[in-house]
Amino acid sequence: MNKTAASLAAALTCALALSGCGSSDSPSAGEKAEPKTNGELVIWADDKRSAALKPFADKFGAENGVTVKVQAISKDQQTTFVTASQQGSGPDVMVGAHDWIGNLVQNGAVDPVQLSPDQTNGLNPNALKAVTFNGQTYGVPYAMENLALIRNTDLAPKAPATIEDLITEATKAKTPEKLCLQVGQNGDAYHLYPLYSSAGGYLFGTSANGDYDPKDLGVGKPGSVKAFQKIATLGEKGDKALKRSITPENSIATFTAKKCAFLVSGPWAITDVKKANIKYDISPVPGFAGGQPARPFLGVQTFYVASKGKNKALAQEFVTNYVTTPELAVALYEAEPRPPALTAAFDQVKGKDADLEKFVTAGKDGLPLPAVPEMAAIWDPFGKAEAAIVGGADPVKTITAAGKTISAAIK
Amino acid sequence: MTRWIQQVGWRHLVGVLVLAFAMVPIVFVFSAALNPLGTLSSSELVPTGASLANFTNLFGNTAFGRWFLNSVVIASVSSIASVFISALAAYAFSRRRFRGRRVGLLSVLLIQMFPQFLAIVAIFLIFSTVTDLWPAIGFNTSWGLILLYLGGALGVNTWLMKGFFDTLPRELDESATVDGASHAQVFFRILLPLVAPILAVTALLAFIGTINEFLIANVFLTDAGSKTLPVGLYGLVAGERNANFGMFCAGTLLTAIPTVLVFQLLQRYITDGLTAGAVKG
Amino acid sequence: MTATMLGGPATRQARPAPPEPAKSVVGQVAKALLLGLTIAIAVWAAFPLIENEIWIGLAILVVTTAALLYLYLTPRHVPLKYLAPGTILLILFQVFPVLYTASTAFTNFGDGHRGSKQEAVVAIQTASVTQVPGSQQYALTVATTGDPATGPLVFLVTDPATRQVSAGNADGLKGLPAGEVTVGSTGRITAASGYTILNAGQASRRSAEITALAVPTKGGAIRSSGLSRAYEGKAGRAFDERCDCIRDTTTGQTWTANEKVGAFVAADGDRLAQGWRVSVGLSNFTRVLTDSAIATPFLRTLVWNFAFALASTGGTFVLGLLLAMALHSPRVRGRTAYRVLLVLPYAMPSFAMLLVWRDMFNTDFGLINNLFGSDVDWFGGSASARLAVILVQLWLGYPYMFLVATGALQAIPRELSEASRIDGASAWGGFRRITLPLLMVALTPLLISSFAFNFNNFNAIYLTTEGAPFPADNPANGATDLLITYTYRIAFGGGGAQYGYAAAISIFIFLIVAVVSAISFRRTRHLEEVHA
Repeated sequence: MNKTAASLAAALTCALALSGCGSSDSPSAGEKAEPKTNGELVIWADDKRSAALKPFADKFGAENGVTVKVQAISKDQQTTFVTASQQGSGPDVMVGAHDWIGNLVQNGAVDPVQLSPDQTNGLNPNALKAVTFNGQTYGVPYAMENLALIRNTDLAPKAPATIEDLITEATKAKTPEKLCLQVGQNGDAYHLYPLYSSAGGYLFGTSANGDYDPKDLGVGKPGSVKAFQKIATLGEKGDKALKRSITPENSIATFTAKKCAFLVSGPWAITDVKKANIKYDISPVPGFAGGQPARPFLGVQTFYVASKGKNKALAQEFVTNYVTTPELAVALYEAEPRPPALTAAFDQVKGKDADLEKFVTAGKDGLPLPAVPEMAAIWDPFGKAEAAIVGGADPVKTITAAGKTISAAIK
Repeated sequence: MTRWIQQVGWRHLVGVLVLAFAMVPIVFVFSAALNPLGTLSSSELVPTGASLANFTNLFGNTAFGRWFLNSVVIASVSSIASVFISALAAYAFSRRRFRGRRVGLLSVLLIQMFPQFLAIVAIFLIFSTVTDLWPAIGFNTSWGLILLYLGGALGVNTWLMKGFFDTLPRELDESATVDGASHAQVFFRILLPLVAPILAVTALLAFIGTINEFLIANVFLTDAGSKTLPVGLYGLVAGERNANFGMFCAGTLLTAIPTVLVFQLLQRYITDGLTAGAVKG
Repeated sequence: MTATMLGGPATRQARPAPPEPAKSVVGQVAKALLLGLTIAIAVWAAFPLIENEIWIGLAILVVTTAALLYLYLTPRHVPLKYLAPGTILLILFQVFPVLYTASTAFTNFGDGHRGSKQEAVVAIQTASVTQVPGSQQYALTVATTGDPATGPLVFLVTDPATRQVSAGNADGLKGLPAGEVTVGSTGRITAASGYTILNAGQASRRSAEITALAVPTKGGAIRSSGLSRAYEGKAGRAFDERCDCIRDTTTGQTWTANEKVGAFVAADGDRLAQGWRVSVGLSNFTRVLTDSAIATPFLRTLVWNFAFALASTGGTFVLGLLLAMALHSPRVRGRTAYRVLLVLPYAMPSFAMLLVWRDMFNTDFGLINNLFGSDVDWFGGSASARLAVILVQLWLGYPYMFLVATGALQAIPRELSEASRIDGASAWGGFRRITLPLLMVALTPLLISSFAFNFNNFNAIYLTTEGAPFPADNPANGATDLLITYTYRIAFGGGGAQYGYAAAISIFIFLIVAVVSAISFRRTRHLEEVHA
């Protein structure tokens, strides 16, 4: 009896296991189900943007007689998008940062978009450059962002020209913290980059056509060592302007609580600063005296057409012909005040909002965030090296080790 | 008096000490929820301002009510079903002797030890097909997620219950069988009532485990209307770097309410078990 | 639940008599209903399978249903009757994902190598389509010569410069007489005799066909860009079956398919980014063993990993049991209030509370340093960071042990412990000789599984220290890193996600935990037979 039971169980398990893989591997499943999907467009975005997109998506749907679903992905948007796309349950349109492009392209997850000359001329050139990868335009940018120095004008009336000035001013202001620049326990390469570049460091060199060249890694080179030696003087064993206890969670809150006069952050911080009724002004992130200009990274928020979407024609229509209208860009700006990438929309809102122009000025020397897939190997080791050096570790040893780890990962 | 300290007093001392340890972070969350500029970074245990703005925003500006309902439904259905399935299996593992029993028990445990974050790819693989064929139990449906959670029904809880079945004297069911009761009758009428305390405990554990589950729910539920509390709440802080921690904390506190209610509901089974009967029988 | 409870004692009272027939009718009806439901679900599930002609799936469904019916109608196979529901779900949603994951360990599955070769070729070709230099963009209207849902598709395009209107399909482009068409203000054709214009809803239902349609022209082909514009484009790269390679249509450079690495590689070593998934044999496993980044800190990490899992499990167990014992007395007033409050840490979403704890440990702004007036750099030093993560686990995990131990204490007949007291044993002696051994019967398996859970407790580290502190010369392995967080960093940290590699490391970790657990499990054998 037990024997039969066991063999039956085995048969059952085999049968079920097969039904799991058997039916999913069968290509006919997807194709046959296709006709059933009626005109439906699925858009994925993060929570904030999906809320802002909703009314416009509904309008687009009503105008075209299709259903538009906007779905919010809260965590790991990029990975979730790539994985879901590969298995055929991804969206038709994805909203995300431009530095995903390299990875999305190598996974065949997004299609290039074909914009008319009128449309490309209407876009901010930096934004357009950011979404261009291997000579193709991989999405339609709608907003730009970069870091700037936000200061409390009650505590620090004058915009500092150098980081040394900033420290003098901060000391005069007698705030508990000198500078709210998030470092955190494991560092933050994005927020450190302006200082790193000003001190002479770089991440990737550029090839002849201006693209990033992953073969030329700047981390671990003498320039980066020198840069981190300078950064170390600002750290916990030096001026205490950079501290690991300032984290992504508390940097803005510390500034709005008037515990520091200077905050290095982006347009997303302004909502909170206004809510706290702080008199503020925005200026470029200052560099080291006698150093190179401090270059913040430029990030561009982008609409992508998913390669494996079920309704690509409609997705293209939405991305290339609808997203490029100023109305949508203005609405997205109102949901969150980032400078629109569409020149017409930018002109429309800049009169109401002086901060936009200031952020753009602060990003004048900015560099587009590298979209090459190799960039993924940089963030973690670079950040940790930063945290260690800010905490007082030896810059030479630390950054050389980080360079080794990164080049081993890139190969 | 010393007798009181020996027999009761130390119990209060332990209770109060652990309570202090338990409550500090919760009070902290509570004060952040009341603070209109609530952040997780403040170092104050006492709120700097008190308002219910975070709570009203939560209900006014998000689909919080919907998330709440989804969570309660999913957690209730899957915890009840999983306790039932677990109890069935625990009975077989404890009372029946069949070939592969120990191997089966061990496999149930081992399978849970495989790192879960890699399984996401396989879940997409399975449910993409399911969504194409049977949209009613596919992505963005509560039923699909409940089914997925029930995959883990045969797990730690089975072990827990099997352990309790083991502590019940064998003579109980043997004498019932002699009296002509079928195995189903032994199980449903004799054993189940006797393990009521542990059924209640496992139901509570399963409820809590499900209502707080985030990793799978996050990829499974993308429609705003289908989300559960952890997924929705995470969205509040994950949006961008200026996260609204005040609302998040308010939501976290509210999430604990159904759990506390379920606990209250089950407490009488947990504490007033039918243990006396076991020995008399 | 109440119903079964009431039913219990009733049966026992009636024991001398054979089972009452009335009760077994209820059982029979319930059984019939459940089996009927099974058939109904099977029938419901069968329709989509038939519709999509998935015959294998259908056969499996029929066989499974038949097997289930047989199982519950025959008086034999009693254990299986109890195990079947859980086992089926376990296989579908746990065993299959684990086997699938394990199978990827033998492939190069990861970013850049996710799909099939066919998919890679499509991706390469699509990515290489560029607008023909100097070409115009056309205003596009999608139309058909037949039924909107099934008729052959036609692109009606307007040349913006010449205002020439044409109709195009896969055979080519032909001009339309101006008199037969109406052109709207945007330049798009709004009506044409002999053609039915598709509205957006109709067009989007045929999305795949529209995207696939290319109207050949002299310089390339006219393709749609959405539903209202078309462009003349040319694929810069094409797959050539004869040489199994990708050829650049302008420079003539070729990239040959390399099935070993799953990518198109040129003679000079240049590799196209879009690759595919191939089997790589055991190379992921040998890489785990030879990778110095893994091998060097492995032993240290393993020791800490064991320490963490033991401390978390042991700590929560001791604290939970102590609490359960303390409150296990009717003489303690306010037990209900105690219990509710003590369970709260478990009732809060754990990921949220991990984040709260991380911020509470902040050196300058954290609640802990603030409360104690200390200045400890908690996550900066190895010892303090390790202490901190264990403390957090203790907070998160003790309510679980408390609940289980409370339930277990209730299940121990009070007479037993009372008897020991009458025998003159001290309270502690009674606990040690009678209560604890009985508790361990029920709780040992749980301790093993709790150990296994904590051994791989990804969130406990990832949401708090992320492995910190890291030695200055090694940003890859920190003092609080568990094997699982360490794996995650290696597999997903650099150069994108490497699922295959991650799966291989996971299998090694799994083997370690499995061996430890299996050995502990063997020791539980004697515990089972208390009453036997």
